[in-house]
Amino acid sequence: MSVAVVVAYGALLTLVAVRARAAREFAEFSLARRALPLALVFGSLAATYVGPVFSIGFVGRGLKSGLLFLGIGLAYAAQNVLVGLFVAPRLRRLRGCHTLGDAIGQKYDQKCQILAGVISVGLCAGFAAVMAKAGGDVLRDIFGLPHWSSVVIVVGVTALYTTFGGLRASVITDAFQFSAFAVLLPITLLWILCFHFDGGAAAFAEQASRATSDGLDSTPLIEIIALLAAFLLGETLIPPYANRALASKTTRVSQNGFILAGCFSVAWFAVMVALGIVARGIIPAATVKEVEAGGKVIDDFVLLILFKSTMPAAGYALLLVVLISIIMSSLDSLLNAGAVAFTQDIVKPFAKLPDRAALNVGRCATIVIALTAAAGAVAVDSIISGLLICYTIWAPAILPALIIGLLVKRPRPLAGILSMGVGSVVAVTLWVMFKFILHWKTEAEISPIIIPALAAALLAYLVGHGLEKTQSGA
Amino acid sequence: MKLLVLVLVTISALFAIAGGIWVAIALVRAISSHRAAPESKSDISRENSSVPD
Repeated sequence: MSVAVVVAYGALLTLVAVRARAAREFAEFSLARRALPLALVFGSLAATYVGPVFSIGFVGRGLKSGLLFLGIGLAYAAQNVLVGLFVAPRLRRLRGCHTLGDAIGQKYDQKCQILAGVISVGLCAGFAAVMAKAGGDVLRDIFGLPHWSSVVIVVGVTALYTTFGGLRASVITDAFQFSAFAVLLPITLLWILCFHFDGGAAAFAEQASRATSDGLDSTPLIEIIALLAAFLLGETLIPPYANRALASKTTRVSQNGFILAGCFSVAWFAVMVALGIVARGIIPAATVKEVEAGGKVIDDFVLLILFKSTMPAAGYALLLVVLISIIMSSLDSLLNAGAVAFTQDIVKPFAKLPDRAALNVGRCATIVIALTAAAGAVAVDSIISGLLICYTIWAPAILPALIIGLLVKRPRPLAGILSMGVGSVVAVTLWVMFKFILHWKTEAEISPIIIPALAAALLAYLVGHGLEKTQSGA
Repeated sequence: MKLLVLVLVTISALFAIAGGIWVAIALVRAISSHRAAPESKSDISRENSSVPD
């Protein structure tokens, strides 16, 4: 029965991917011809941001710190709503724009576009490596395969449909995967609350209150502030989100897609944290000790243990496949966004490519980024710290230049290039110093990097703006 | 108060399920009628020009 469920899910996903068709021109590969309706933009955005951290990670946090991470997650929801209100419509309004690099190129100059392209490709490969590791971890835990072969299977299958179908295949399969997990995981929560959780509302409130107190006691204020900053800024308009803003049918669709995705994230975080809270009353303390005695962090296993101890065999198998889907839906978006950024921002400024050649470059880039991600998955220590590193580089490197560029009338190229250069260099330098000299690894130690790096990028922007204004005035 | 926490969690779960069903319906429409991707370049230009920015 379990095998039949897994095979049926795989067959359905294949059918959906095939129905998405292969892209026949670069506009289809990069922007799905700018024709995505609201429901698909919303579903694809949510499927992209709900990765291993916002599912497995949040359930683990729910167990350990109750509602604390729901509060921190509100910063992420606010970010989506703010982007929807103020940034996405401006981005969508730009003509002939395929990527964030394009937008930066239109606002500043071509050098800024190339630098933004390099940062985008690097970050997409980094994020993809973290997703590849997470996918490999889940597949290894389910089937007992060696980690490297689990990574190859997850990355290989994802790269296959993304290479041929481009953004449209990514969005269509995202919508399928989103529907599966957005329906099944909340139903699982309601099932557990009705049939497995003893004590009703009073016991749930008691567990939530005790876990939240534990979380607040064990988390220093500076870590909470840094996490809020990372959730507010770290994933803002990363290339896959920007591509969805640009591929929306209209500016209104782009705006509402982000706002809805922000609202959905609040409900999603509540469901994930609630799963963690009910797990406190279901998973025996002995099991937690057993996992931790094996040198593993309990956070990453709470959801799997909860599924196993509460669901019938077929339901358990289905939920495991859904977990892999959650990871694949983030991975495919990153592979496509990196490939489009490489073609549009790095190759096209140097070579005039006919449409067919651009499509082929995009497909080859998808494969190369997928291979890089699979190789890089080995180097990722943990999923959360891997993502935090990407956040701490992305926000200072791109956000000041992008957002100020979209908001002000005459942005100066020197300001853009200085902000991106200084933001990247400061973030990478601090990370290298923390990791290799001070040997800091935990999220409490890594997450504060975003604050000085962002400040340096903003300062560099102001200096560049002032210098160029003085020069042009002289 | 205790009941309120559980009610909010249940509403969140139902909201997420509704989102999933809405996207599933849009997905079925998109792959059965190819509405999300017009077939020809003229369709694109017509669509983009008719859409208010």
